[in-house]
Amino acid sequence: MLHWSQEALDTEGDRVDRMPAPGPLAGMAIALKDNIVTVEEPTTCGSRILSGYLSPYTATAVARLRAAGALVAIKTNMDEFAMGSSTENSAFGRVRHPLDPERVPGGSSGGSAALVAAGVVPAALGSETGGSVRQPASFCGIVGLKPSYGRVSRYGLVAFGSSLDCISVFSRTVDDAGRVLAAMSGVDPLDATTLDRPPMTAPAPRTDLSGLRVGLPREYFPPDLHAGVASALRRTREAIEQLGGTVREVSLPHSRFAVPTYYIVAPAEAAANLARYDGVRYGPRKVGPAGDIRALYQATRGEGFGAEVRRRILVGTYVLSAGYYDAYYRKAQRVRALIADDFRQAFASGVDLLLTPTTPTPAFRAGEKTEDPVAMYLADIFVCAVNLAGLPAVTLPVGRSEGLPIGGQLIAPFFEEERLLAAAAALERAVPADGEVRG
Amino acid sequence: MSIGRDEVLHVARLAELAVRENEVDRLVQQLNRIVDYVAQLDEVPADHQAAPFLPGPARVPLRADTPGPVPLARPPAAMAPEFADGFFLVPRHGAMEEL
Repeated sequence: MLHWSQEALDTEGDRVDRMPAPGPLAGMAIALKDNIVTVEEPTTCGSRILSGYLSPYTATAVARLRAAGALVAIKTNMDEFAMGSSTENSAFGRVRHPLDPERVPGGSSGGSAALVAAGVVPAALGSETGGSVRQPASFCGIVGLKPSYGRVSRYGLVAFGSSLDCISVFSRTVDDAGRVLAAMSGVDPLDATTLDRPPMTAPAPRTDLSGLRVGLPREYFPPDLHAGVASALRRTREAIEQLGGTVREVSLPHSRFAVPTYYIVAPAEAAANLARYDGVRYGPRKVGPAGDIRALYQATRGEGFGAEVRRRILVGTYVLSAGYYDAYYRKAQRVRALIADDFRQAFASGVDLLLTPTTPTPAFRAGEKTEDPVAMYLADIFVCAVNLAGLPAVTLPVGRSEGLPIGGQLIAPFFEEERLLAAAAALERAVPADGEVRG
Repeated sequence: MSIGRDEVLHVARLAELAVRENEVDRLVQQLNRIVDYVAQLDEVPADHQAAPFLPGPARVPLRADTPGPVPLARPPAAMAPEFADGFFLVPRHGAMEEL
């Protein structure tokens, strides 16, 4: 946790006690990743450059959770500006995996994931730009739900990649994830990219999956997939069939380009979004030589941002610069369309949901991937295509390998969260989350 | 594609980012690693490329062009290190004053 106090929690409790009618989330404590703003607590995004920043407004999602009776007063650690897959990039220290402190909890929302997995809170919000909730949820053995782009307002979520960012949910059960998402979803005049559709309702859980057609994308099951992950997914597939569903192979041929596409689009958007942190408008200021305003910008940003953020700003600036824009950014935008079209075609071919592993391996050791940025990026290989396509997806624990949790991912068509959650709830009851699998 | 030392320093200037001398070589190596990796998009044939895609509404609605209240929990003066007469005060800079 980065910011919390008993007094703030008590104040929230008193507020909920005074509500005229208990809301659907009455009394549920929900922690926030520290890139979601409230007026009461500081917001740092895990960065020195936002030290001492207090937002003058509260995120729409938080206001809606509070109106539903939730207690929101805890802010959690994260990779700086949500850039990372291990929560080793925070200016305030790394987050440890709740089952093995030598390992990472995943990232970038690792603080929220670890807090829910440790049983401190029943639910927490994270944010996804390229899998930053589903990947840590899988590593920590909990549920991670990413909604469709436009389902939840981004007002009050500090911007990273604006065409990708989604506030998302961690919980210990599928039912809790659905209730939290239902409470905060819906159109918001303060975010023009929210869709004006009827609010989502938490679905009635299915007891079986009869009639459900599930596609297994062959590109997500390579021959060298980690043996424990492959075994857990095989068991999940069998559970779908035992519950009356049918399973068949499908193809998402451009999914192998998802990570390189993401690592052009997201840094490009980040380079633009993070230009505002210049030492004049936010946080600490490093004054350079007298008479040189650009020296102030450069010194403040050079010292205020950590290594991964600086690296991504440089990559984003490079791919947007004259001479390289067409070769990188424009090409990535077009490949993104092909990736999204793959999903459309798969669903149009007659499947209702897709099933994939969430991560290629269980949680890795701290420091294992910090020297090679591309090795770290590949930890998101099964999650980031969903962000590029704007689709909803959920991960749930489907077993353990050598004691470490493994996640199975269900992906649904755009704005089909009810279908997604109903099936996930049925699987949650059928697949033992803590059962050891043999590789 | 190979990014050299001068190009890293040029991009850092474009990004308004000070880079310490002792980290330049490492940045050159890491940026080349990343750019070489993302260059695999060249394998996608140009004639297979679709129009750019963005999720969300087909057309972003525009608000009415009328001023409304700004819902801030605390006044601007409370957010600024220095504030006077309705203005945010920033450090004095000779280059700015010559303009």
